[in-house]
This record gives sequence, C-alpha cells and structure tokens, in this order.
Amino acid sequence: MRLTQRDRLFLFAPLAFLLSGWLALPALLGLLATFTTYSPFGTSVHVAGLNNYVAVIQDLQFGAAVRNIAVFTLVAVPGELALGFGLAYLLRRPIRGRGLWRVLLLLPWLVSPIANGVMWHFLLVGATSILDFGSGWLGQSNVASPIGDVRLALPTIIAVEIWREAPFVTFLLLPGLSSIPNELWERASLDGASWIRQVFDVALPPLRSLLLAVTMLLVGLSLGSFDSVLILTGGGPGTASVTPALYSYNQAFVVNNWPIGAASAWLIAVAVLGVGLVYMKLARRSTTG
Amino acid sequence: MSSLRARRRRDAVIRILLLIAAITAFLLPLTWTALASFGLLPDNSTRPPSWEGPITLDHFREIGVAEPTFWQELATSTAAAACAAALTILCSFLAAYGLVRSRFVGEDLLTQSFLVLASLPAMAYVIPLSDLMRRAHLVDTFAGVVLTEAAVTAPLAVYVLHGALRQLSPEWEEAAVIDGAGLFRVLGEVVFPMAAPSLAATAIVLFVLDWNLLLVPLVLTSGEIKTVPVAMMDFFTFERELDWPTAAAALVVSLVPVAILVGVFHRVLERFSLDASLGA
Repeated sequence: MRLTQRDRLFLFAPLAFLLSGWLALPALLGLLATFTTYSPFGTSVHVAGLNNYVAVIQDLQFGAAVRNIAVFTLVAVPGELALGFGLAYLLRRPIRGRGLWRVLLLLPWLVSPIANGVMWHFLLVGATSILDFGSGWLGQSNVASPIGDVRLALPTIIAVEIWREAPFVTFLLLPGLSSIPNELWERASLDGASWIRQVFDVALPPLRSLLLAVTMLLVGLSLGSFDSVLILTGGGPGTASVTPALYSYNQAFVVNNWPIGAASAWLIAVAVLGVGLVYMKLARRSTTG
Repeated sequence: MSSLRARRRRDAVIRILLLIAAITAFLLPLTWTALASFGLLPDNSTRPPSWEGPITLDHFREIGVAEPTFWQELATSTAAAACAAALTILCSFLAAYGLVRSRFVGEDLLTQSFLVLASLPAMAYVIPLSDLMRRAHLVDTFAGVVLTEAAVTAPLAVYVLHGALRQLSPEWEEAAVIDGAGLFRVLGEVVFPMAAPSLAATAIVLFVLDWNLLLVPLVLTSGEIKTVPVAMMDFFTFERELDWPTAAAALVVSLVPVAILVGVFHRVLERFSLDASLGA
C-alpha cells in the first residue's frame, strides 16, 4: 500500500525512539566523552584530546587483549562456520526425527555465556573434572587444568566458544541449505564431482549472502567476547586470555578508570564497524551481481 | 545403477553415524552437568574412575539455600525477556513493514547496516549507557532493563523481519485498501496474519537472546532487580566456593525454560531466516 507521511511517522517512530535513546545517544555521548576526562564519579571535566586513546594503546594489557582477540576471531569464526556448515550439511536432507536432532543440537547455544563459563570451569577444574575422568580411564594421573596454563588458556576459551556457537551457525544455515533443490546435488554427484567440489559449486553460491550475514554476526560476537572469559579464566593467567571487552569492563566498572574504559570500548566499536563496511561492500556485490 | 544405490545407502549410513557422533560430542558437557545436578558425580581418585551417587533432588533444593532469591530471579528473567522480546517485535515489525513498502534507493544498504548494528558488541556502548540510565533514574528498574534489552536486540529483529516481510506480495494489501482499509486494518488483518510464523520465530530467538544477556542487566542494576545471568556472575566473582552439584542444578534450571520453548516451537523456528532471498 502507499504510505502517507503520517503512516511513516507511526511506523518508524517507535523504533527510532528505542534506538536513538538506548543506542545512538549513549554511543555518541560516550564518543564525545572519550575526548575528555569525563567520569560520572569525577567533579571536573577537562578536554583531553586523544590522550585517553593514547593511554589505551600504550597499555601493554590492551596490546595483549588485541593480540588475543585477533587469534580468537581468526580461529573461532572459521571454526564455527566450518563445523556449523558441516552439521547443517549432515542434517540437510529429511531424516527420521530431524526436528529432535535440531533441538538437541541447538542446546549448547541456549546455555547463556555466563552459565557456559561456570559449566566449563567445573568440567575442567577440580576433583570432578571431565579431564581427570578421561585421563583416569587411560591410566594416567590427574592432568593440570588447561585454563591455568599460559599456553592453553586462550585455546581453551576458543574451543568453548566454538562449542557454543557452531550449533547456532547450523541453526542459521540449515533453512538455506535444505532449500537447495536436490537435483542440483544429484547432478553434481553424477558429474563425478568430489564431495568438496559439490559443496563449493552447489551450496556456496546460493548461500553467499546468508553466509556473509552469519559471518558478520559471528565476528561481532567474537570481537565482543566477554561473559564466558570472565568466569572461565578472568583473562588470565596473567594476560594470556584477556579480551578487549573484558579490559574495558575492568577499567570502567572494576578499577573505576572511566575514560580508559570508554575509549577502549570505542576501539571495539570501530573494529566492528570496520568489518561492517567490508561486509556491506561484499553483500552489495552479491545482491547486484 | 545398483552400485549407485549401494553408494547412496552407504552415504546415508555414514551420515547417521557422523550425526550421532557429533550430537554425542556436543551434548557430553551438558549430560555431565545434568548428571551432577542429580548427584551423580565421578570419583576420579579410583582406578579406573567410578561414579558415586546416590541420585537425589536435594541439589535443586539447595539452590534456594545458596541463593535465597534464585526463584525470584528466575521470574524476573522470564518477565524481562518476554516483555523485551514483545517490545522489540512490535517496534521492529512496524519499522520493517515501513521499510519494505517505502521503496527507496539504498533500502538494501540500510537493512545491511541494521545487521552491522546487531553485530556491535554491547560492550561498545554500555559504559555511557549505564551513566545515562543513572541520570534518567532508570537504573535498578524493571522498565530500564526491558527497554535496554529491547533496544539491544532490535537491529537484528529489523533485519530478519525486513527479509520476511519482503516476501509478502502487496496484492492482498492493495485489495484491502480498495475495500477502504486504513493502515491499522491492513497491518492487523492482512500483514500480521501472513507474517505471523516469522514473527513468532523471531520472538522466540529474541527471548533466548534476552534471557541470556549479561552485560546489559549487569551494569543497569545494583541488586534491586536481578536476572539469572547476573546472579550467576555475582556468585562466581564474590564466592567461588559454590559446590558443583548446586551450580549444576542452577544451570539445569536456567536452561530448561528456553529448551522447552525451543522444543515446543521447533517447527515455527524453521521460519527464522537471516537471508532475505529465502523462504516464503
């Protein structure tokens, strides 16, 4: 139907109110505040220019956080996509009880990140850990917990993240994957194409825009990693698994260094928005081409 | 041809075996947790490790002892997530319809920017938000938590619903307009019924997302209003002494509501799509 000006106002006003009041306004005011010494607990405010950002970038802990999150994102996102795609590929054809399979497979994603951290903490640490149980069966003595090990802490939180998000990727990809007509698979397999060629030639082209959208969400999730890291390792040992979001949170809410917390949080936003620009460029090509 | 059939059967068997292996691997941690919540714990000091029981429901009762307000927090979480999901759906449905029927240049670009916004981690804006909310006296209020949760998840809802509403043919709406229907009747009697499955699927996903949010309720509350994730975090940052079976029981209790929701509505959930070019 043709919308009048009043119709548009009615349709867009509620969302505009919600997003401007609780997202845009705080984000922009927060951005302005990062160029000052503003803190809700302080009494005077001075212009600080780029000092807050310089302080963040020079902080060795933030440097460690950036390095960690780069590794985290570069391993976790492809891992989640590959595993999630593989599971969706297995589930793409109707099989008996597919509904049940799907629900069971989504369970890890339903666990909140914080509960996830609690759960893995107990699975990996202490007298009842699943690691000791496994090693006991193999006749080994108790193993040291990987989350206390400088080299294993980051790989562990990456693995835990993949465990939680891969099922969500399957959930998002499955409708797209099962809507690909069966004849396309049949034809490719009669042509003698290998399994991997079939996936690349048959599945990926129609799923391109969906995969881009899923990747965008996963990158954002990964760059903001906070909840489960907080509980599982607290960023440690040392700075071995600290993430930028955890760093911002600690600065703003634990040590009450508000300007540093807000500035480092904006650096996370800038990173995500940068990835967003790349996403929009790629998505544009897929809709026009 | 028979070799083709044999190969197909072999493929099907491999597929089922791989699926069973994957499900087992993914559910192992959860099974471990569920067993612990019923008091079934491994005894790793024996060789080989053994299990100690007995099976009991005591640990579920101990949640209320360890955290006296747990059941109230469960109610708060449920109510907040339900209200936030409903509010998000309402605002996003209207806006997504407006976008679909406005027909302007850059519509795709705008909806894609909603997805980028949805990917923005809460940490990026939650610090100034907590300050603003304190100034607006919305800290520690139910309304404050609901409005913020609704705002945080709205961009994703707009993106998904825009994709869903775009599939609807405008003919039905035109027919209603010729019959003299205004915007409200078109929305209520034509668009809403046709989009209902997608709206329901999106609402369920939003409920799960809201239910699991930590950072937003954490920085907007200081004890008056508490959701389950916030309570769990308090527990683990202040007193790490919580024993595993009780923690496991709390985990199971906090997982069951969303698991039931997803289980009951799994057919509806198939309509949740991030892709604008798919589905009906």
